[in-house]
Amino acid sequence: MTPVDGDSAAIRREKAAWRWASLSTYALAIIFVLLLIGFCLWVPHFATWANFANVLQRNSIIGIVACGMLLMIVTGGFDLSVGAVGAMSSVVAAALIVQVSMPLGIVAALLLGLAVGVVNGFFIAKIGINPFVTTLATQVLVTGFLFVGTAAQPVYGVPESFTVLGLGRIGPIPIPTIIFAAVATVTWAILRFTTLGHYIYIVGGNKTAARLAGINVDRVILTTYALGGLFAAIAGVVLLGQTNIGQPASAADWPLTAIAAVVVGGVPLSGGVGQVWSAVLGTLLLGVIANALNLIGVSPFWQPAVTGAVILVAVGLDSYQRKQRELR
Amino acid sequence: MLLEMRDIRKSFSGVQVLRGVDFSLKAGEIHALVGHNGAGKSTLMKVLGGNYADYDGEVRLDGEEVRLGAPRDALQRGVAIIYQDFSLVPDLTVAENIALGREPRGRLSGTIAYGRLRDRSKQEAERLGIALPMDMPVRRLGVGAQQMTEIVRACSQDVRILVMDEPTARLAPAERELLFATMRRMAAEQQVGIVYISHFLDEVRRLADRITIMRDGAVVETGAGSSYTVDSLAKLLVGHEIVASLRPTQAGGAADGAREALNVRGLSIHGRPPIDLSIRRGEIVGLAGLVGSGRTRFARALIGDVRSAGRVEVGGRLMKRRNPERATRYGLVLTPEDRKASGLALTSSVEANIVASALGKLLATAGIVHPGSRARMALDMIQRFAIRPPARKKIVGQLSGGNAQKVLLARAVASRPKVMVLDQPTAGVDIGAKAELHNQIRLAAQQGAGILVISDDLDELLDLSDRIVVMTAGAMSGSFRKAELTRASLLANMSRLPGRA
Repeated sequence: MTPVDGDSAAIRREKAAWRWASLSTYALAIIFVLLLIGFCLWVPHFATWANFANVLQRNSIIGIVACGMLLMIVTGGFDLSVGAVGAMSSVVAAALIVQVSMPLGIVAALLLGLAVGVVNGFFIAKIGINPFVTTLATQVLVTGFLFVGTAAQPVYGVPESFTVLGLGRIGPIPIPTIIFAAVATVTWAILRFTTLGHYIYIVGGNKTAARLAGINVDRVILTTYALGGLFAAIAGVVLLGQTNIGQPASAADWPLTAIAAVVVGGVPLSGGVGQVWSAVLGTLLLGVIANALNLIGVSPFWQPAVTGAVILVAVGLDSYQRKQRELR
Repeated sequence: MLLEMRDIRKSFSGVQVLRGVDFSLKAGEIHALVGHNGAGKSTLMKVLGGNYADYDGEVRLDGEEVRLGAPRDALQRGVAIIYQDFSLVPDLTVAENIALGREPRGRLSGTIAYGRLRDRSKQEAERLGIALPMDMPVRRLGVGAQQMTEIVRACSQDVRILVMDEPTARLAPAERELLFATMRRMAAEQQVGIVYISHFLDEVRRLADRITIMRDGAVVETGAGSSYTVDSLAKLLVGHEIVASLRPTQAGGAADGAREALNVRGLSIHGRPPIDLSIRRGEIVGLAGLVGSGRTRFARALIGDVRSAGRVEVGGRLMKRRNPERATRYGLVLTPEDRKASGLALTSSVEANIVASALGKLLATAGIVHPGSRARMALDMIQRFAIRPPARKKIVGQLSGGNAQKVLLARAVASRPKVMVLDQPTAGVDIGAKAELHNQIRLAAQQGAGILVISDDLDELLDLSDRIVVMTAGAMSGSFRKAELTRASLLANMSRLPGRA
């Protein structure tokens, strides 16, 4: 083979790979739209605004958590403590709202979430424990404190008016969804317009290279976990708005559901790549499928099994494509 | 004759790497194989190790022709090769590492008889006259003891030919002497033939019975070890002398008295000898040294990625508390040697990589990036460095080596540095890209940066530098104006062990 032939073949291959890459970028969006159309046509009561609003309201909380999870996954980590932080946030907010005042309850809950995130980031970045172990430990730790502090009893007595935050609407749009949209927009802006966002990608792509290029890798990692904790706390307050009860045993499924949403959105756990719309789309995709199953009368017990299958298929297709591309 | 290799040829995708090599080894002989990087030493030894099935030529062991099609063929005939990078399992003990892959079975199937394993490994070490702490995990051994473990493991089967590729590059002097004594004893007592690859020319001269010199895939000559001097070996290694092309002095802008870009005083890593170095604005200084001489560690210490004592001044400002982030802010940047492992974020775009060092310093206020500035800088640099394809959104992992290296250099230049440390700036890139990179390095110097170039490529150092400093075993052992140097004299200076000048 002459070098010239080799070159043009390489260019052709590259172009083909490029086309594949851009196709798989939009594949998820296309699948999502096709699913929506299919559900609208065949699933009874699916295509009503009441149902859409219901889906949005139910999934906004996980969407908020997924935005934080996305940041951490892009740096090459993840956070198993977001559920514990969410529960903590809703219990603390409930207790303070009942005993002191609503603004203080909300602010304290958010600050506590931020603090747990900082602790996670500290142990991961500065001490060097891996994210799995660190956030597993803080999850258990926070849950433990929560059960001790409440004697495992739910906190009642939050005024009815507080449910506006979880169940209210502005016009036709649920308030949790507006909060979700705001969090997603902030996440997008961080990734798009700030040095932090820029560094998150470089750090996730190659920590050594980032460090030698003069990027403060520890600070970047710490900040993403702090944001992850903060977002989980926001989600916890919204949860309180939906239930009106500070329930220490709630939110246990958040970490894995949020990771699933981001991963189904096409973001690899290996880090370095990922966009906000992936987290948003992944969340909505899982939510819409669960809703459709529910509407056609499938037992809710089937839902986790279906979620698992969706993860395997969506991520499997993406990973297999990537592997084939590398083999060429 | 224990081993005879005749007219060995090997090509990689049309490029001939071995062009008819003859090599022989007697039982009980230490035979050194020397040559510059790319001379074909390692390829020849890989043929002997059975790593290439498609070589041409003839290999005879004890006069009998053999075909070495797979590593298994070589092993079965008693050929053992110890490569530069150890292949030990860090958390297993010395005894377990020695017995790796041939553990004695216990009474129950699937179990290992640890007692017998330990005794056997101990015996095997003692047979070679090597004392090792059998129950210690390899992780906790020094480099020298790890090397010894490798040797015992390699020799545990009936070894007749032992090949060692640069075994002393990372050893301390005392460990080195111990290794030599072991090698001599193995040769004399066990009648093992040892092939010994090294860049340390005076060490080779003292140790080897015979020396074979290779250059450009062929043997230059073979002779008795005692018949060479360091200088005669160096001359044979580089071949006919090419006079380093002198470039016009104003090109470097390094007029005497120009202000200092970098001033290093007493920089010491882990109690190693202190290093002084000063680079003027516009000056290109080459840093020469063998693999393992400590050049990369020195570069990392400069930017504070490796802890060190001493003073580093950048543009006259003393750097307090050195770390890479502060170094970048002071205007001292490094392009690391391995662009894939430690240079670039391969999953990110050309743009993202180019602006990585400049972003916080030049393109943002209070953490918010100035709109459009990122793309402008990326496009500027893509044009200036002629990066192909000229697409700022292209993922760096998809670029060719030369273009990836351009992105790395562009990242350093984009941060408007006072000092650039370039570790192997053209490793593995094609000739065209190399020339372009050299021009860019010169241009950066003309614009006032002080530049330190670390390279294994002597021609590159001689071509690019105004001045060359040499490191051996972690210490600065010499500084030369370019006019004083030839390739051979530079190589000779690099190849002397410290204290034996």
